[in-house]
Amino acid sequence: MSDRFKVGVYGITGCAGCQLSVAFNEDELLTLFELLDVQAFPFVTSANKEEGFDLVLMEGLVAAPRDIELLKDVRSKTRILVALGTCAATGCIPAYRKYTLPAEYQHLFYTKAEDIQDVDPTPIDAHVKVDYTIPGCPPSEWEILSFIKTLLLGKEWRPYRSPVCVACRRNGNFCLLDLGKPCLGPITCGGCNAVCVNGGFECWGCRGQTNDANHKAYIELLEGKGFSREFILERMRTFVGLKITEPELVQ
Amino acid sequence: MSHDYVHAEELTKVEGHATLTVRFTNGRVEHCELRAVEGSRYFEGILLHRHYVEASEITSRICGICSVAHVLASIQAAENALGVQPSEQTAALRVLLTLGEHIRSHAAHLYFFALPDYVGFPSAIAMAADYRTEVGQAIALLKLGNDIVRTIGGRDMHVVSATVGGFLKVPTAEQLDGLRARLEQLKPAAVATAELFNSLPYPEFHHQAEHFSLHDDHKYALLSGRIRSAGHEFAKEDYHRFLSEYQTPDNTANFVVREGHTYMVGSLPRVLNNGDQLSPDAKRFLKAGPLAKGSDNPLHNNVAQAIELVDALDHAVRIMEELRPKPEPVPNIAVREGRGVGAFEAPRGTLWHEYVLDGTGHITRANVITPTAQNLRAMEDDIRLMLPTLEGQSREEMVAALERLIRAYDPCFSCSAHFLRVTWL
Repeated sequence: MSDRFKVGVYGITGCAGCQLSVAFNEDELLTLFELLDVQAFPFVTSANKEEGFDLVLMEGLVAAPRDIELLKDVRSKTRILVALGTCAATGCIPAYRKYTLPAEYQHLFYTKAEDIQDVDPTPIDAHVKVDYTIPGCPPSEWEILSFIKTLLLGKEWRPYRSPVCVACRRNGNFCLLDLGKPCLGPITCGGCNAVCVNGGFECWGCRGQTNDANHKAYIELLEGKGFSREFILERMRTFVGLKITEPELVQ
Repeated sequence: MSHDYVHAEELTKVEGHATLTVRFTNGRVEHCELRAVEGSRYFEGILLHRHYVEASEITSRICGICSVAHVLASIQAAENALGVQPSEQTAALRVLLTLGEHIRSHAAHLYFFALPDYVGFPSAIAMAADYRTEVGQAIALLKLGNDIVRTIGGRDMHVVSATVGGFLKVPTAEQLDGLRARLEQLKPAAVATAELFNSLPYPEFHHQAEHFSLHDDHKYALLSGRIRSAGHEFAKEDYHRFLSEYQTPDNTANFVVREGHTYMVGSLPRVLNNGDQLSPDAKRFLKAGPLAKGSDNPLHNNVAQAIELVDALDHAVRIMEELRPKPEPVPNIAVREGRGVGAFEAPRGTLWHEYVLDGTGHITRANVITPTAQNLRAMEDDIRLMLPTLEGQSREEMVAALERLIRAYDPCFSCSAHFLRVTWL
């Protein structure tokens, strides 16, 4: 079956959770590997061919020189590059350090700061062209499947842009905002089935802001519930800070 | 004089990214370096000024493959600092969550990472046609472990329901009954796994590393007890007196030694230290296989993982027979200044979280020591010991033998790459 999609799954700096989420489609895993010609997936196989791909799923953010090299190399070999998960999409929690004072890290380094081979923590689209983004920390397993199916059927992938609250209400959860929790569901893209709120935990915004998110109003709303501005900004920046569109929030 | 190099650019079938470089001359190892090549993620720095209740959500992102371990070690460190004693129900649910993670992690590691080396395939997927039963068992066990974590933690990765003091949401008794039926149904798959891994042809190799694990007088220790080896025992709060961290230039991972010496954490140390507390069926495989008289072969870590897999299924069933969860409000916690340590048996070994909190509950110091950071030195020492025994083999065969050795430790290079040192006052 030479007409099968040639696929690569790679990771740069990250936690491997997004690559695991591909594998956590337990019932579909073997079918997936039959439908796709998985040429490279170094996390699960020692036989990796890097000649050319139709599709590469890339987990992780850029935080080391090696990340940039691998990313550029893979980009040059694939027709479609997907940012898989929040690290690739926004830099996620590792990029949150940009909001903390560098001086606070100095005493924590083993070696002198200037000796560290460190790269500004950045999402992958700061370095290469990205064709699609599947957000989430980690992305939903079914969403990865759904993306691959859409591609194989030759259809256009349309990311979910409605807020987390749509599924949350449908699932019959009590509104955590009403219960006094700093839930970011109303300004965050859903597509996760509100999994965290289903589990009793407020949304931290890992899938990125909705198109019409009004951060200013939302900050005021949370301040009205007694949260400090500093705390609210910390929460909003934790997962997706680098991609918040309102400039006064990203200073 | 003949110089020879072995360089594995990117180790495959391990968690995270690492390279191995070895130079040896006339059979003598002159240089050996196992390097994590991940970018630094500065988690301990990111935790500064955050409230203790936020720490588990942040630190779970250290690792996707042992996220439960980071969540629970983080919660435990905060509770230790605040003097919080979780309820019996909370303690039982935490053990179940842990067992779910051990089941999925061991099943995945044994079948997807370790077994292909022994049967001559590059991956479990490539094995699937010839080893359909085994791969099917692996996936069924992986799914069962994931479903236990999903049911109790709210998500299969970066679980959300566990928090400092208790659970935000508890599973129903019916959900636990459903999981228990599946545990009983899959017991034969776990038993077959232990039989298989008791019978594989492990390379002859010996390394006298000190085996450390938690030990609890009352049960097979996963998240309670003291730290113990054959010759030493100490309380988790005292770990600074025993363990020291250091870093080599140009490497983002921490190395950890105990009083300057190599030691090992993981399944093999746990099973050898606490074997008499395993379930009767798990003990049967301990007594009938390569571990019967103890072992100083790190490759036997795979045997120990398979034994723990049997024990994990039995242990989870025992808990589910008794446990009828009821919603419990998370107690109000009196915030105070303090220092707390969490010590937790992740699938790949003892994981440490330590936080210092100020009077408002915000973190002023954080330290995380991962299992792989502790095993890095042991892995390097093993490579030095093993290389001379591989003389005469081709470069590919040598790399394959060394990779198999490293994989046996079930390393997690993402975890180990957190790159921070804390100066304790």
